[in-house]
Amino acid sequence: MMNNKLKKIFHSNEPYIFLIIILLGVLVQIRSGQFFTGNNLVDLFSALIVPGLFAIGEFMTLLSGGIDVSFPALASLSVYATTKLLLDRGYQGNVIAAFAIAIAFGAVLGALNGFLIGYLNLNAMIVTLGTSSIFQGLMQGTLRANQLSTIPAGMKTFGTVPFISATNKVNGLTSVLPYTFLVLVGVCVLMYLVLHYTIFGRGIYAIGGNASSAHAAGFNVKRTKFIMYIIIGMIASAAGICRTCMMQQMHPTNMLGMEMNIIAGVVLGGVALTGGSGSLLGCMLGTFLIVMVQNSMILIGIPTTWSDVFVGAVIIIGVIVSALQSNRYEKVRTSKNKEAAAK
Amino acid sequence: MGANDEMLLLKAEHIKISFGNVHALKDVSLSIRPGEIHCLAGENGCGKSTLIKIISGVYQRDGGTIEFNGKKLDKITPIDAINMGIQVIYQDFSLFPNLTVAENLALNTEVASGKRWVSWKNVRKIAEDAVSKIHLNIDLEAKVGTLSVAQKQMVAISRALMFNAKLIIMDEPTTALTKKEVDALFKIILNLKAQGIAILFISHKLNEVFEISERFTILRNGEMVATGNTKDLDDSKFTYYMTGREFENKKFLPAKVSEKPIFELDDLTSPGSFEHVNIKLHGGEILGITGLLDSGRTELALAMFGMLPASSGKIIRNGKVVEIKNARDAIANKIGYVPEDRLSEGLFLQRSIADNIIISEIDHLTSKGIYDRKKRDREVGNWVHEMEVKTDNPENPVTTLSGGNQQKVVLAKWLATKPEVLILNGPTVGVDIGSKHDIHVILQKLAEDGMGVIIISDDLPEIVQNCSRVDVIKEGRIVGEFSGEGLNEAAILSAMM
Amino acid sequence: MKKRIVVTLLTASMFAALVAGCGSSGGSTASSGESSAQASTSASQSTASESASAAASTAASSAESEAVTSTSVSSASGTASDAPAPGNWSDEEAVKKAVDEQWEIAVVPKDSTNPWFVRMKAGVDKFASDTGVNCYQVDTGTIDATHQAQQVEDLISQGVDAICVVPVDIESMDPILKKAKDAGITVITHEGADLENVDYDIEAFSNAGYGAFLMQNLADAMGEEGTYTTMVASLTNGSHNEWADAAVAYQKEHYPNMKLLEENPRVESNDNGDTAYNVAKELIKTYPDLKGILGTSSFDAPGVARAIQELGLQGKFFTTGTGMPADNAEILKSGVVKSLTVWDPGKSGEAMVDLACKVLAGEEIEEPLNLNVDGYTAMTRRSGSDTVFEGQGWVTVTADNCDSFGF
Repeated sequence: MMNNKLKKIFHSNEPYIFLIIILLGVLVQIRSGQFFTGNNLVDLFSALIVPGLFAIGEFMTLLSGGIDVSFPALASLSVYATTKLLLDRGYQGNVIAAFAIAIAFGAVLGALNGFLIGYLNLNAMIVTLGTSSIFQGLMQGTLRANQLSTIPAGMKTFGTVPFISATNKVNGLTSVLPYTFLVLVGVCVLMYLVLHYTIFGRGIYAIGGNASSAHAAGFNVKRTKFIMYIIIGMIASAAGICRTCMMQQMHPTNMLGMEMNIIAGVVLGGVALTGGSGSLLGCMLGTFLIVMVQNSMILIGIPTTWSDVFVGAVIIIGVIVSALQSNRYEKVRTSKNKEAAAK
Repeated sequence: MGANDEMLLLKAEHIKISFGNVHALKDVSLSIRPGEIHCLAGENGCGKSTLIKIISGVYQRDGGTIEFNGKKLDKITPIDAINMGIQVIYQDFSLFPNLTVAENLALNTEVASGKRWVSWKNVRKIAEDAVSKIHLNIDLEAKVGTLSVAQKQMVAISRALMFNAKLIIMDEPTTALTKKEVDALFKIILNLKAQGIAILFISHKLNEVFEISERFTILRNGEMVATGNTKDLDDSKFTYYMTGREFENKKFLPAKVSEKPIFELDDLTSPGSFEHVNIKLHGGEILGITGLLDSGRTELALAMFGMLPASSGKIIRNGKVVEIKNARDAIANKIGYVPEDRLSEGLFLQRSIADNIIISEIDHLTSKGIYDRKKRDREVGNWVHEMEVKTDNPENPVTTLSGGNQQKVVLAKWLATKPEVLILNGPTVGVDIGSKHDIHVILQKLAEDGMGVIIISDDLPEIVQNCSRVDVIKEGRIVGEFSGEGLNEAAILSAMM
Repeated sequence: MKKRIVVTLLTASMFAALVAGCGSSGGSTASSGESSAQASTSASQSTASESASAAASTAASSAESEAVTSTSVSSASGTASDAPAPGNWSDEEAVKKAVDEQWEIAVVPKDSTNPWFVRMKAGVDKFASDTGVNCYQVDTGTIDATHQAQQVEDLISQGVDAICVVPVDIESMDPILKKAKDAGITVITHEGADLENVDYDIEAFSNAGYGAFLMQNLADAMGEEGTYTTMVASLTNGSHNEWADAAVAYQKEHYPNMKLLEENPRVESNDNGDTAYNVAKELIKTYPDLKGILGTSSFDAPGVARAIQELGLQGKFFTTGTGMPADNAEILKSGVVKSLTVWDPGKSGEAMVDLACKVLAGEEIEEPLNLNVDGYTAMTRRSGSDTVFEGQGWVTVTADNCDSFGF
């Protein structure tokens, strides 16, 4: 039985992605001596916060068999509106109001995606491409969004006060992991519980596996999708607030374009584009790998000219490794089936 | 009549339904007794699926009456059907490939209970109870996607049994199963019958209908054409009811067999699949190769066509040794191959019927680098006519065709390359009786015109009827050859086993 | 009386021209390839910074190294000291004539709601109130190429005497400007170097000149010594890389104690403050000797500043780059960043109107062109172009002046 469980673990993607992460870490360590230092790890985790939150949302959409390319625009719009609102009111209190308002906006915008994809049963890719444009249009046209170079004091505090700070004794550099990291941890834990221990969460898996069977099994497929996109909108907005707090300014277009690397990271973590399969752990590992590659290029000593090639190469290698191992698994399985049939 | 009525579990009478202008069911009646195995047969598009969907509450009928367990039902919803004890196992099993066996078994119950939280302990318990009902030995933590078709079917049956089923409807359950798996399935069906559960078994396979069912109902074009006891049914009646046509199942007798073999395998070996295979095929002959699923027959077929080249031995065409390392080589040597799985190997499903037919002769339709559209249309028209492909417009996607007509398209595609040797692997699997007959007629005619045909099939009646000579393969080796008087089902079967 | 004034003015302007001529006499005309108008990134469209980088990207690099050399970094205007100080518009013959003839000069910005162009309006209004010339900026609303074209058409049918345009879209604006010219209207543009149907286009500066100016700012912060590297939005961005190249060239010539980081001479920020921040942290970790980053895009220096702040390197690590004054008031005032650079759209507005007066008055437009606006007093022709004039209109932004720009 134990052996069986172990086998199952190695049939999944996660150990392989983890292995790539370790190998890359060792490479960085050899090249720069800087990978396994407190401040570097803190830097990486702090760079993971926003992509990590977005990845959780993307993970859910991919699980359900959809895809979401609107979350950067959604987050930008809701966070821009929130920050502007708070600034105009001269709000100086703590960050909770910012989260509450942004998440409320995010829920409304997510509901638009959810309505179109869930209730009208439209293609998720096309819908989110469309809503992405709408969100950008609202931001730039209606709200005439410009960079907000100051943010409310409470937000700034939340984004800069250290939760953990690590000093590198050799060079004296101190990196800071802000409290926003706890948001990532919190959302991760919460979503793990939702996906594993609620009928709603299992419904997302079921819909991704086979939507018509899910309907036949008694799931309200439309409502499940609708609620899921609302949650994704909420998570994306929370991510946007974290980012704004950390950057200490709100730039309305700065997050746009993040979606491709996020999707790449989630898929790298073994989450199938066809829906239904993948784990939250894999999603986070894949995202971490992407963040790590992006933030280790200089440490490894890759010239800027080649950095995009390197990022691309790591993604391709990751996908090849996971494809190879799942192929191997497939072969083992079919030969087993043959044996069974021969008996 | 009155006494009979009381015994009925399901009594559906004069059921009508139409979709737009299409009268899918005109006047269909079906009655099932408690604990009986009833076979519902009919060709594709005859209304079988529609009828099940009405009984299980997916569609609402336009007319007719339904009684279940003595209760008149005005309107049936899917939930009503489940609550009354009607379970349908569709061909795709409605399982979740990404979830474990345990969760597949338990999810419906969990959802139905209206709970918001999942108790994994409970899931496990429900699953264990479910598999114990049919003594199924399976890893509950395995993902359903990794199971074999037969195992998936068992999971689907276990799940159906969890709802105190009185009637289990199985939609073509044997389609993707091996002979052994079919036997195992039949055992379970008999076991269910013993527990008093009625089974409505949907099939168009003659032998299965005879083997398992006590009573039958046959539909054709939305009408019920026959119902009664299976023991009163025979082959020709069954075929007639199904198709409305009388077929003379002409036994193939080779007319003019070429003097020298046109295609030979000399000691062909592919370790692990087949070994030392020697075969001689003459023009004008239909050679059958048969064996069990894992006998190596499919690998042999692929080797002949270069898709899975053998490691040693020779392939000889018209007395000359030829290298066949890939499909291109095979085509160059005028060898055609109709694959086993036409959906994934033989057809470009999204493309038109016409494109599929001309795909392999596209070079001939191009003169001086320019694609001759008119010539193409003429060519396509010829083939559609010759093969009797039932379509309004050859520009429609192949998916609009029935299985039998799809197979005709695959055949046309290969015939368009003008092969001298045609290898067919399971030429009529999943094909309706009418089309099956048409395909047999075509193959026999091709052989009469001098082509060498090899049919690889485990459909013994088909082999016996169409082949002039049959080689039996077992565990990778040719273990017997039958022809003339010795060519009969019993002899072949005993060699296979 | 009148005659005497005319004569005086003529003499004055001739003198000014002479002086300015000296300033640019040795001007090298090291021409670079055509820089693309699309070099600014799409990510920042319709924001003020976009306007800024578009301006710079259309400026070519007919380097005025002499002029740059003598540029005083500490002066807020950054005007070359041997370029003439701006004179009084009202003393200009052409301006005088504009008032007398009641010429109507309209300025059409990209987006009148954008603070960048609000600043431009202030310049145009200042010109009007200082001189009495009938010039004004049109209210365009938000950025919209079609709408802008419509407004120019309206101005043509109203029969204004000169139209000054900051075009949204070169392609669609050009044919409309042809109509204006056909109707005898004077056409002056800004940030539209590729337009054909214009009398003149003026650009705030050349790429090479601006690059040198950036380096002066970085050198000043670093105390003219230590290792530095350069940051651009992307390696394919035309203007950013020209600035960076010019900055490095200027350093090699003038700051022997500074050294370009050889292992990594140029990094990318993707026009994203967060990327700039992460890249800066990585650079600082990898190269302990590194002391400064010369940014180009408006996202670079603020992002680097965030890294300096977090790592506690204020006073030890330095950066500069293009930056909007209001957006960066905080990092300037806190001392993390000593100075940033920008150009002033108000000055561009003033310069366009002044040039329009000159053209209407039929003056010969010759280099060095003096528009009596800071940074636009010794403008030279871009090499290879008859219509494009480039100034030295860069400005240093510091903690002291960052609140005075209004954008």
